[in-house]
Amino acid sequence: MRLSAFRIQNFRSIIDSNWHNFSPDNITCLIGQNESGKTSILQALHAFHHGIISEDILRSDMSLPIVSCRFQVPEGWLSDTVETTDKALLEYITSLNTIEIDRQWNADLSSQLLVSGEIGHYLKSIELELKAHFDKLIQVCQHKYDLLITTQQTINNIKKNCQEIKFKLSQASSNGFSISGLKRKFTAKDSGDKADVSALKIELSSCENQLKQKNQQLEELSPFEKELTKWNTIQKYLQECQASIKAIELGAIINPLHDKKEDTVSKHNWSDLHEKIIRNEDLYHRQTILCSELINGKPYSQAEQVAYKTIMEKNKSMGREQLGQQLFEKTPAFQLFEDFGSLLPNRIDLDDIITENKHVEGYKAARNFLIIAGLDYGFFIQPSNRILKQTIENLNTSLTLQFHEFWQQNISNDNKIRINFELNHYDASHYEKAGKPYLEFWIKDEGERLYPKQRSRGVRWFLSFYLELKASALMDNLDSILLVDEPGVSLHARAQEDVLKVFDNVKDRIQIMYSTHSPHLVDTHKLHRLLAVQRKNDNNRMSASLVLKPSQLTDASPDTLSPLNRIMGNPLRTDDFSAHLHNLIVNDIGTFYFIKAVLKLVDFDQKLHLIPSTDVSSIPLMCNILLGWGMPFSILVFSQLHERQIADKIKTRMFPGDEPKDDHFIIMPKKFNNAEDLLSTLDFKKHIIKNREGITVKNSIYIEERELPRNFMMSQYLERVTSGKVTLKDHDDESIENMKALVKAIKEIC
Amino acid sequence: MSSKTNTCSLEDNEYLSGLRYARMIQRSLMPEPSAMEKILNDYFVLNLPKDIVTGDFYYVHQKDKYTFLAIGDCTGHGVPGALLSILGISFLNEIIQSITIPHANRILNTMREKVMKALRQTGQIYETKDSIDMSLCIIDQEHQILQYAGANRPLLFIRDGNLSIYQPDKMPIGVAPIIEHSFKVTEIELRSNDLIYLFSDGYADQFGGPKNKKFKYRRFRDHLVAIQHLPMQEQYQSLMTTFKKWKGDTVQIDDVLVMGIKI
Repeated sequence: MRLSAFRIQNFRSIIDSNWHNFSPDNITCLIGQNESGKTSILQALHAFHHGIISEDILRSDMSLPIVSCRFQVPEGWLSDTVETTDKALLEYITSLNTIEIDRQWNADLSSQLLVSGEIGHYLKSIELELKAHFDKLIQVCQHKYDLLITTQQTINNIKKNCQEIKFKLSQASSNGFSISGLKRKFTAKDSGDKADVSALKIELSSCENQLKQKNQQLEELSPFEKELTKWNTIQKYLQECQASIKAIELGAIINPLHDKKEDTVSKHNWSDLHEKIIRNEDLYHRQTILCSELINGKPYSQAEQVAYKTIMEKNKSMGREQLGQQLFEKTPAFQLFEDFGSLLPNRIDLDDIITENKHVEGYKAARNFLIIAGLDYGFFIQPSNRILKQTIENLNTSLTLQFHEFWQQNISNDNKIRINFELNHYDASHYEKAGKPYLEFWIKDEGERLYPKQRSRGVRWFLSFYLELKASALMDNLDSILLVDEPGVSLHARAQEDVLKVFDNVKDRIQIMYSTHSPHLVDTHKLHRLLAVQRKNDNNRMSASLVLKPSQLTDASPDTLSPLNRIMGNPLRTDDFSAHLHNLIVNDIGTFYFIKAVLKLVDFDQKLHLIPSTDVSSIPLMCNILLGWGMPFSILVFSQLHERQIADKIKTRMFPGDEPKDDHFIIMPKKFNNAEDLLSTLDFKKHIIKNREGITVKNSIYIEERELPRNFMMSQYLERVTSGKVTLKDHDDESIENMKALVKAIKEIC
Repeated sequence: MSSKTNTCSLEDNEYLSGLRYARMIQRSLMPEPSAMEKILNDYFVLNLPKDIVTGDFYYVHQKDKYTFLAIGDCTGHGVPGALLSILGISFLNEIIQSITIPHANRILNTMREKVMKALRQTGQIYETKDSIDMSLCIIDQEHQILQYAGANRPLLFIRDGNLSIYQPDKMPIGVAPIIEHSFKVTEIELRSNDLIYLFSDGYADQFGGPKNKKFKYRRFRDHLVAIQHLPMQEQYQSLMTTFKKWKGDTVQIDDVLVMGIKI
């Protein structure tokens, strides 16, 4: 599996890097001024792998970081690797050969991995479909729940009303008719009281009818009353958790200005809440389905079965997070070469290596050393001391020889350093460790025996770095990606070039990304490896970082490009061969003359500078130079096989993933082998070879077969065109048509 | 004496049978009526070779939406003309097969290159001056556009009884005294019932008639206009009868080829 591109969002100075390709030849170099954001890129990619970030990574607006990586996998790999019973998903991924994984951090600095890109979209659409389904069920439940509550409230109100009427009625009855022993004469007032009582009786009867109706309604709701109430409780609880988590995420609680203790509490709360939400979400969904099934009239046992089955099915289908985690486990290991663990120590206990004690200084370097030597613990328990010492001696010699292939720094003619390691045992003075084995490392120099730490930092760094790369390349497990921040800062210029050699030696097994300010660590023949990093506003260190791909180096500031300019010379910006003209590289001098003549013939008035390559094979070099100088350029290639192959190589290396609109190529139709084929045979005979012989092959083949002085003939043609002796009218319709098509293609790229 | 005569007659017979075989080969290179009927709605071909083999040829071919029509008149007649005509047919076929968007003039240009190369003509005085005169038409069936390019052979075009003459470039397919330049192309929008006539110079050059004079191009044109209303087969009959009548007992001086097509 190979990392093909990355995207970083909200990581220190980077707001959104957009997608950037790793160099197709596995070595990617970041250039840019100090504090431009180069180290942030390396750290972000490292954080993608291990998931750990600190608060200082967060931007001041508290937007949470996301690092996305795109990996290339062989076709069919996904269907062989993904463990799922989801047939639709398996079918979908069978033909894919890239995967994208996002690591998204949360407010408590924990993170989750999500599959994104094409697969992510697919899974998200399914998730959304499911969510829409649940939302509908939730609406049904909510409606019934509201009805239940309203009915209950209405019943209470009616009951209260009934009570009041009854009370009034009892009052009215006692006034008019129940005064025992007194026989009163009926008055007008009495008849009024009597009317009140009747009215109250009617009111009571109506109230009781209402109550009866509402009770009936409540009766209908009663089979799911209990479950709906439970559903509502879970819903409320989830809503509360979500509101709290949102408050934390919005930075209402977490704030860099708050004291640490408060932050820790908030982070704990966030994690706690997050866990609770996850735990209760399934319960909520289950309860929603149960209630909606009950509402639809299913008996409880059946409704419960449906809810159980649906949740099981839902959990069976793979989510973005689950698949992200599964795929992530197969991705290459991202290793950041850093001084503490990676620099070769003076000595290290064998026990620490065996127990993989990564907290011991130089653990990684010592482990690397043993991997390269092909040694494991079994070797050190060799009973014969003589065999052990002899084997170590032999290994020291072979390791030294291997190292010399890359380390070319001689102090005098034949005075190269020698690497040695020895197996020793602690003596009695070491109390607890007495008798235990340890490895001791030496870097010898003409008899002088010095510990690594006694050597220069440059030598120690280079050796340790060599060990790291060689060991990674030898490991048979997963592919790896090595991230190196400013390699070889303490190295001499020549030794820095040796670093590049080591990179090239291991690039088939390890992908490397490094940052540098040094021109010696930039291979000027391979500028397609560059990514330039600079601030959006050059004068403001607080502005966001921008990452520019090789084809965008034209937009890079002179300071960003300074390592290139130092080694390639300054671009001729003030000349007319420059940044304000579009540069068109053509395959050779003959084509240069010919196209210049064509442009003259058609009165081409756009800003274009034609650059002849010495031959087709030099085109990549020309591209490199223009890339390095940050000049806009395009390439014109003809249909010959090697020319197309070179164009393809440039395309995949220098402009991988560019949009078609950013096309840097004019690829001539197959009928043109070279520039002279744009002329009809008649015009070729008339203007170039001045011969009446019948020609039945392409003009270019005719020149080639007869070994004619092409460049001279083309320059003569240009001269006649420039002097006005030959005009467009002197050409036939075929030549004119071809010339116009060429000019149209040139105009499109200008 | 008698045995000598016998020997001569044997040689003649062998020569004649060889020529007849050659005629068969030559005919097989030109389209058969059944093939032409599939391509053309209404047409005739009046082909009257002077000898057993002919220096005139006709070509009808359909490729994609394009119909290619051509007649060629090679220098001389008989065996030399026939050899050149075979070369011409082969070249024309080869060129048409190799192109996707045809241009009538460019086909003639390319053909000239091939003929010049085959006959090793470079414009020097001592070289052979053999060449082909030719009319080439390409009909774009989709857009009903006709392209015409001619090497010394014109195109006669009749619409609604009116005759138009499309003049050719005054140069052959082959070397010429003046330096080669590109043939020109003419485009004509076609309508139903338009008539196209392609022909070699044999008909107009035939001696005969009451004063034993050439039939002449003007008379040929007028005759075509006079018979243009007739069905194509009747036009064929009329042209044949007129030619035979004009020739009478006079010797045919050249190969005769007339191709008429009704759109």
